[in-house]
Amino acid sequence: MRKLTSKTIRNAIRDNAIFIVVLLLIIITAFIEPSFITWDNLLNILRQNATIGIVACGMTYCIIAGLFDLSVGSIVSLSGVIVILSINAGVPDYLAVGYGLLAGIAVGVINGTLVSLINGRSGEAFIITYGMQVVVAAIALFPSNGLFIAGRVKPGIFMSMGQGMTPIIIFLSLAAIMQFILVKTRYGRQLCYIGSNISAANMSGIRVKPNRISYFAISGLMSGIAAIVLCSRVTSSNPTAGLGYEMDAIAGIVVGGTSMSGGSGSVFRTVLGIIIIGIMSNALNILGITAYHQQVVKGLLIIAAVSMDIWNKRIKVREIANEKAYIG
Amino acid sequence: MNEFVLEMKGITKTFPGVVALDQVSFSVKRGEVHALVGENGAGKSTLMKILNGVYQANHGEIWLDGQKVHLSNIKDAQSKGISIIFQEFNLINTLSVAENIFLGRYNDEKLINWKEVRTEAKRLLESLGFSFDVNRIVGKLSTAEKQLVEIAKALSFQAKLIVMDEPTSSLTKTEEEMLFGIIRKLKENNITTIYISHKLEEVFRICDTVTILRDGKVIDVKPVKEIMRNEIIEKMVGRTIDMDYPKRNVQFGEIVLDIKQLNRGRLLHDISFQLRKGEILGIAGLVGSGRTELAETLFGAEKADSGEINVFGKRVVLRSTRDGQMNSIGMLTEDRKETGLVLPFTVARNITITNLKEVTSNLLLSGRKEKKVAEKYIEALNIKTPSTNQPLMNLSGGNQQKVVLAKWLFSNADLLILDEPTRGIDVGAKYEFYCMMNDLVAQGKSIIMISSELPEVLGMSDRILVMHNGMIKGELMGLQMTAENVMQLAID
Repeated sequence: MRKLTSKTIRNAIRDNAIFIVVLLLIIITAFIEPSFITWDNLLNILRQNATIGIVACGMTYCIIAGLFDLSVGSIVSLSGVIVILSINAGVPDYLAVGYGLLAGIAVGVINGTLVSLINGRSGEAFIITYGMQVVVAAIALFPSNGLFIAGRVKPGIFMSMGQGMTPIIIFLSLAAIMQFILVKTRYGRQLCYIGSNISAANMSGIRVKPNRISYFAISGLMSGIAAIVLCSRVTSSNPTAGLGYEMDAIAGIVVGGTSMSGGSGSVFRTVLGIIIIGIMSNALNILGITAYHQQVVKGLLIIAAVSMDIWNKRIKVREIANEKAYIG
Repeated sequence: MNEFVLEMKGITKTFPGVVALDQVSFSVKRGEVHALVGENGAGKSTLMKILNGVYQANHGEIWLDGQKVHLSNIKDAQSKGISIIFQEFNLINTLSVAENIFLGRYNDEKLINWKEVRTEAKRLLESLGFSFDVNRIVGKLSTAEKQLVEIAKALSFQAKLIVMDEPTSSLTKTEEEMLFGIIRKLKENNITTIYISHKLEEVFRICDTVTILRDGKVIDVKPVKEIMRNEIIEKMVGRTIDMDYPKRNVQFGEIVLDIKQLNRGRLLHDISFQLRKGEILGIAGLVGSGRTELAETLFGAEKADSGEINVFGKRVVLRSTRDGQMNSIGMLTEDRKETGLVLPFTVARNITITNLKEVTSNLLLSGRKEKKVAEKYIEALNIKTPSTNQPLMNLSGGNQQKVVLAKWLFSNADLLILDEPTRGIDVGAKYEFYCMMNDLVAQGKSIIMISSELPEVLGMSDRILVMHNGMIKGELMGLQMTAENVMQLAID
């Protein structure tokens, strides 16, 4: 067991600095407006952030693998359009949902194949998925000429997915499953090896290419699920619904503390990151801060999170260097 | 003036729980090439870090040119004429040679006089005997050329003392000669070199004096002319090593690998050979002769265009490293940091990487099983680590290399391809590694060993293939295995 020394306490504070700041914000807000900490408000925050949370969980695998997926927002738009159009065309619910998910997986597989073909790293993945984002966003606009599509939704599986507690349950259970796979299975461990040192993973007999394609496929699938939850909630689809999702997802991942350099991270922390951003906007709303000002705070929070990550890493490297000096 | 350019007197440096340097006195005469040797962990790096101002000694004094100095950081040391060239260069790959030499101190005026910077850079390189286009981008230079730029950079600081840490570790034979030429040139200009190396051949070729460190103490200081190679080794390791290469007596078994007319692009032509059970097959040749390319193809990391690979009498097609692994082939790569290991991960996780299935129960990874496996190999291979959870980057080179070997033993590889297995590890660890190789072939495994160190190839192999231009130029056995024969075939 690790001894509770001042050093370990200091490390714990450093690793969780963002959480501490937000905790302070919560306390202050709660003093000013007691209704802030009620179950209703908390559930509301979770419900509002469930879709973006699902997307962020999917993208977490890509980030741990040392990759990027910027196409998620466009996938949310496209999958949503496909589901609502299918339902309006009289396709049964489960099939419509299936089409939406397939579209997400398909875009992911294309992303992954392209990145794998050129043996790309995060930089190439960034550009390729950005290209896909543009293409897929345009495709989502074709069917309705960019207009909003009202869904003729009947009660059923699809309708229930966006109602009441369901989005929250979907979000948290998917996150739990992904975290479990990441930590407890071979697939998850290989993901970490590939993210930390892809050459060493390859030279250790790990099938790098198919694995990397699967991370994009999962990211696409999760975006498809998010689209379904979103469309079900509003019983319609907006072909630009996913605009900006990719950045919000990355923000959640970074604030949660998963490193952009790959090799380590956690879906659990992504969930925390998303909730923190959600709670923060909600608190700022309650405190009467305008949306524009809120954007400033959010931006600063993201910058702080990344800086902290780099800073922590540097301290750790220095500690290791010192340790090494007295080992050898 | 005093004849010593540097005197470090009674240097003691402690880290929590460990005395890294104990009353070390280290004196270097002006204009000499002074070798500093010792096993990893003997205290060489710590001593050099004190000289560089990175660490401060707890006790002791540093005298430069007969004056007592205090070195508080790297810049301070540089301004006093001490430059250290590390194995990993401090150069910016995207900038030109001239920019790198004068990085950050082009001149005092607001605008940079590029012409002057270039002329000065050119002059420095010429003083080392090289005419060089100083506009070339550093990233496109060879390792040897980068080293040259580092030395020119040191000269631009008016260095009177240059420390070279393992300078030949990634140089070819010709480049090595070039470096020795430079060192002699420095000597002519009365610039002193401290030469840190594991390769004792080099110490005898280029150095005047040798200081031997062991366990943080100076064991001996002697002119190189007055000491024998074995004496240095004994003093470094503190025990007698009867021979550099342990003997073995292994009966060969059936043919385990049969390669027929293998071709791969312009890199490999018409490669055919066989390997028997229990055999160590050495592959010699110059850097770039196709040795590593052959190893990659045999492991499945790269695909052959044509030809046959038969493993245990069965024809196989290797499309990926996974295929290689499934056919019980393992490969220790030449660059363990880049392609051999996941350095931030623990010892345990680096061993189980090749065979996670073995530490899985009911589809879930078992931390308990993983720990057991790691403990087994730590004991079997005598890996020095505080625990199975130690991040690999904290281990010494020799122990890291043992972990790479462990991961292939864990994947049950019967055919091990070792590419430069002892690069950058110290004498004691090397000997241990050779003994392990002997144990492995005695257990019925077969080894293909690629090495640039001729004595190692000659000492360890049962048979040697010499490569040149992607072809097998010749095969040497028994009494034919001499350095002359190998070099003759390797050079063309």
